[in-house]
Amino acid sequence: MPNAGAALTTIEFTVLAEHRAYLLKVARLQLRDEHLAEDCVSDALTHAFEKRASFRGDSSLRTWLTTILKNRIVDLLRKQWREQPLEPAPSGEQEFDQLFDNTGHYIEMPSRVPDPAELCQQDGFLAAVQRCVDKLPKRVGQVFVLREVFGSDTQELCKDLGLTSSNVWVQLYRARMMLRTCLEKDGFGRAET
Amino acid sequence: MLKRKVARHPMFRISCQHASRLLSQREEAPLPFAQRIKLRVHLTVCDACTNVSRQFQTMRLAMQRWRDKA
Repeated sequence: MPNAGAALTTIEFTVLAEHRAYLLKVARLQLRDEHLAEDCVSDALTHAFEKRASFRGDSSLRTWLTTILKNRIVDLLRKQWREQPLEPAPSGEQEFDQLFDNTGHYIEMPSRVPDPAELCQQDGFLAAVQRCVDKLPKRVGQVFVLREVFGSDTQELCKDLGLTSSNVWVQLYRARMMLRTCLEKDGFGRAET
Repeated sequence: MLKRKVARHPMFRISCQHASRLLSQREEAPLPFAQRIKLRVHLTVCDACTNVSRQFQTMRLAMQRWRDKA
């Protein structure tokens, strides 16, 4: 069967490319740049295809592809962060002062989410979360998406972005506080509808 | 009530602002013992921070669901 190898190759690339839309979605959220996202995804798929023999199948194909994409993205971000280091971060204290009274208590009662799992099944809520993530300051958003979408832990974030762990935690705190403020306007309220 | 008294005691008293920072930090790494106790005491008396804790967990779950949605 002289064509068996070629046929297999074709099938395999088709199988990889089925994950393209998924990879693009996460790359867009991470990079906020359509061209850059497409380049990263194409790169990742090409690389995955070349290395397809090393896919062992202990993880799902999507997980494996996501790791490859993450490595591309981290390379890119590392360069960006090295050329333009993070400005000394606000301590995360004064930044949110307006949310608290002078004894440090919340002025407005944060919304109660009765059933997080139920809320997270609503496409409308997930879309609202995505909109809010897209509105985060660029660097804050990058740390948050690496953390929550790609699953990087503190140690990886420090290594990849050249930050200290307390710096990582401040960025994530800022991200979460900004997100919750954004979701108070549009998002958490959906729990009652 | 006793727990309110404990929460107001200077040894345990923290602001919501401080508690919120700890709530975010504990999503990343186990808190040092003293912080963990202070946060736990605070949460038993503070509805606002209990809600924020839920909100943070919701965000984490939402990001996973968003990612895994086809």
